[in-house]
Amino acid sequence: MKASYVMGNKAIAAGALEAGVSFVTGYPGTPATEIVEECLHGEDVYVEWSVNEKVALEMATGASLCNLRSLAVMKHNGTNFAADFIMHLNFTGVCGGLVLVSADDPGGNSSQNEEDTRILLHTYGHLPVFDPATPAEAKEMIKEAFELSEEMGSCYILRPVMRICHSRSVIQLSAQKKLQRVPQFVDDRSRFVMSAVSEPRAGGKMRPLWRHALLNQKQADFSRYAEESVFNSIEDGVGPIGFVGCGIGYSYIKEAETVLRRKFPVLKLGTLPLPRQKVLTFLRGLEKVVVFEEIEPVVAGLLRGICSDEGLTVKILGRDQFLPGEGELTTEEVIAAAARLGLVERPAAVKPAAVEAPVRTRTQCIGCSHRGLLSALKQVSRKNKAIVTGDIGCYDAGSFPPIELQSTIFCMGSSIPVASGIAKTGIDRPVVAVIGDSTFFHNGLLGLVGAVSNQSRITVVLCDNRTTAMTGFQPHPGSGENIFQETVPALSPEKIGQALGVKTRIINPYLLEESKTILDQAIREEGVSLVISRAPCYLLSTRRGGQPYFARREVRMVPERCNGCKICINDLGCPALYYMEDENRVAVDLKSCVHCGLCADLCRRGAIITV
Amino acid sequence: MKMDLVICGVGGQGNLLASVAIANYAMRKGLNVIGTETIGAAQRGGSVVSHLRISEEKIYSPTVPAGAADVILGFELVEALRHIDRLNPGGCYIVNSETVPTVLGNMGLDRYPPEGEILRELRLRSAKGYLINASEKARELGGAIMTNIVLLGALSRVLPFFEQEDLAAVLAELLPAKVLAVNLQALKAGYDLVA
Ligand code: SF4
Ligand code: SF4
Repeated sequence: MKASYVMGNKAIAAGALEAGVSFVTGYPGTPATEIVEECLHGEDVYVEWSVNEKVALEMATGASLCNLRSLAVMKHNGTNFAADFIMHLNFTGVCGGLVLVSADDPGGNSSQNEEDTRILLHTYGHLPVFDPATPAEAKEMIKEAFELSEEMGSCYILRPVMRICHSRSVIQLSAQKKLQRVPQFVDDRSRFVMSAVSEPRAGGKMRPLWRHALLNQKQADFSRYAEESVFNSIEDGVGPIGFVGCGIGYSYIKEAETVLRRKFPVLKLGTLPLPRQKVLTFLRGLEKVVVFEEIEPVVAGLLRGICSDEGLTVKILGRDQFLPGEGELTTEEVIAAAARLGLVERPAAVKPAAVEAPVRTRTQCIGCSHRGLLSALKQVSRKNKAIVTGDIGCYDAGSFPPIELQSTIFCMGSSIPVASGIAKTGIDRPVVAVIGDSTFFHNGLLGLVGAVSNQSRITVVLCDNRTTAMTGFQPHPGSGENIFQETVPALSPEKIGQALGVKTRIINPYLLEESKTILDQAIREEGVSLVISRAPCYLLSTRRGGQPYFARREVRMVPERCNGCKICINDLGCPALYYMEDENRVAVDLKSCVHCGLCADLCRRGAIITV
Repeated sequence: MKMDLVICGVGGQGNLLASVAIANYAMRKGLNVIGTETIGAAQRGGSVVSHLRISEEKIYSPTVPAGAADVILGFELVEALRHIDRLNPGGCYIVNSETVPTVLGNMGLDRYPPEGEILRELRLRSAKGYLINASEKARELGGAIMTNIVLLGALSRVLPFFEQEDLAAVLAELLPAKVLAVNLQALKAGYDLVA
């Protein structure tokens, strides 16, 4: 055993390896990404970036059906995407231990939304969930989850929040366990063929009904385990008001106790379903309890149900009342709650700084290939009054100032169908969908298929930079390499376009005028058109020691020609350009400029020239 | 012994390495340590902040509450301003005087506050503040990449908890051998920058 100061995600991966996992799948997404990458440290473990999260879970299930211990990793948006499969997997159960890690991002620091996947997985899917209070606990939980999954024949969930994934602490790391299992597939159609047929084994009941009943029966086993689990415990304290800490909520309660030098009655909860008897033991004799959980009042609701069943009059306060309904919890929040309940003095409020710190909005890197594309598309869209829908990836910063091009961003792949829907209304404006390559393969492709078969009139602009740049350069089906950096066949978006019968064009986004001409043609066309904007991610290729995709052109300002129109800023927005208010002109920061030359092409006054 | 630190800067400035070095130092001293970082989109010049908590006692929460930090180690002025509300009145701040303009500020769409305004805000929070030009010193020694080590050196001068020898030993474990010597110079230079 070795103690190391590591990230929570590494602790989770180490737990999986120590539990004998040999099959790991996932789709990149903050805060979960590193869990998959850390599994590469295991020997004889199959690891893949799957095309999307649903596929990842389906792959892991295939391995489980062959009796391997398998792990599927995703962030909350991905769990949503996998929901249909989950609602069958819960009925069928598993063979080899199968754990799904569903990482939530309370506060939405790196997400399009915030949500609590315990609802989808437990309240809706009736699957057992572990909710860790610390990274060390997450590691123990995932080991336990593999054991239980096999014992109970059910998929288990580990739901870490961002502060678990992205915290660092001292973790005891042990050797990987190698189970050396030989894959074997045993037919069991009444389990694994989900279909509306009558089931002879259940006296002719419909199979979905029978499987649902079996899932319901399993709840008793899950609960029995929860009752004995070391992850749920009661701590004595003084007073009639108790604190319930679910997952990381427990850590904030304990921290508040340390700060306040007080000991409250505390119920620590780490499992769903709840340990009903333990909960009752805790609740009896208390007047009120406050439930600290991220994010939704899941446990608060369950506690109210238990109270009502048992005729207890304990008042349950939680995130639907009393506590904020959104975002991360904090130690301060626990202390403030204790003060509102009259348990402690209200602490003096910390004043925020009087001077506002300006935000650092996300933009593309200096030199990024998306910048030329977004500039060309902004100009062409303006001219044609096009509506532009957006998707998720580095290019999405084109929806922020100063570019403000994309008018919508929902979830992975939605740019194309949303564009299609807008176009199908018969609106008299062209409609363009902007989507990255990884997102296109994730499920944007299906939107394109639908647009073709239903004969929409849209232009799809595919930002093809050969990597999943936003989450840290994971390969995807178009990259030509896998997670082990081995060469694999790269899928060609233009061949896909041709196969679908879509007029397909390829542009080099560093060539502004040419890109504009081609985008303009595509936008004016009937039917579905596809424009592939092709240039590798600047940051990735230069990090790997490669040459930039553009021919370097030394730029220089001719200050007297600049009249401060700011077209270069508003239509390009390169962070190496800055505006000097006192002189009403723009300048190039030559320390950070990488000399792609795009701003010189844009400036019509010849104030930025290439030499 | 208990110390809460907030280490803040802009993506690519190397503040993560600084927080890992401090954490390893604390481990070396037999103390408990927990940290967390909020990254946003760090690759593209976003704000990056690490919270780091060191204690003899058990630590539960990875985040430093508002008004509780003993140290703010700021790699950039506006980032120090952004997190200065974490500082406790008895704590100290050590801030790199170099500024990294914001994209929107550059474009004239937002305002990067003048240095004087930021410093006034910092001073309101604590009398113990150190403003040093760590980036310049790092560039002198061979590269802005060592700004983090210069700041560590300054930190070790301000807080006697950090002993040079052990800090050097921690860096020896973390850094590739071929850059160690120059980084140790940077550590010393940071130490000397604090008067
Ligand atoms: S990481 Fe690559 S794709 Fe993303 S903004 Fe930077 S250069 Fe562009
Ligand atoms: S040439 Fe212009 S657009 Fe290109 S990096 Fe330099 S300032 Fe930015």
